[in-house]
Amino acid sequence: PRLSPQRLRAAVHYTVGSLCQDVAEDKEVQFSKQTVAAIAEATFRQCANTGKYIKGCFLILCRHAKRSTITTEDVKLLARRSNSLLKYITQKSEELASSNMELKEKK
Amino acid sequence: KERRCQKQTHAHENWALSPEEFETWDRLYRIKESDGIKEPVLPRVQFETLGNLEEPTNPKDEATQELSLWEWRLWQSRPFPTWMVEHSDRCHHFISLMEMMERLRDEQGDCSYEQEIQSHLHMEDVHVGRDKSRCSRTSSM
Repeated sequence: PRLSPQRLRAAVHYTVGSLCQDVAEDKEVQFSKQTVAAIAEATFRQCANTGKYIKGCFLILCRHAKRSTITTEDVKLLARRSNSLLKYITQKSEELASSNMELKEKK
Repeated sequence: KERRCQKQTHAHENWALSPEEFETWDRLYRIKESDGIKEPVLPRVQFETLGNLEEPTNPKDEATQELSLWEWRLWQSRPFPTWMVEHSDRCHHFISLMEMMERLRDEQGDCSYEQEIQSHLHMEDVHVGRDKSRCSRTSSM
């Protein structure tokens, strides 16, 4: 079932709030509620942009690559414009891949 | 005249400016010290929470003017006119966000956005009592 946009917004807002709390403690600053709200809305809308990109990927995949599943390679493409971000995402994806391998081996 | 035309097309096959083009650029567009204006540069992207791999920003150079994407923010809460290229979805999202911030700016204490969506929160959608290490301090990278 599709979640309503407002329900998704509320979940994003809650999560952004707790992430902001971590940053606030770390940097010893305070975020106003309005700031948290603005970051939450920006995150929500960024996901809409990303979602659109992913949908675009999906169409291309179906037509050309004959893949029908979004993979980590597609996610890496999202970060292609920043070397730092690309490195970070690539590292995370390798970590994930190796821990998945370990899990499989245990089975 | 024909010869001149041919010569021009020939020069255009190069990636670089022809001597004539260079002369025009040098005379009309090139920024020189005597112009009394600073060389415009775009700000470099920096990630606060990631190890930075991007080229370091030049130390504040007296001769350059860093272009600001922020200075005229009060103008950014409605679409600017377009020509040939329409605003993208991403651009419209940005405008709505600026509009929203404009509205929230004057609020004191309670936040209208929060009050509006709070009733839609389902706790099963979020991580409660998240593991602190999960939102890893990437700044240590």
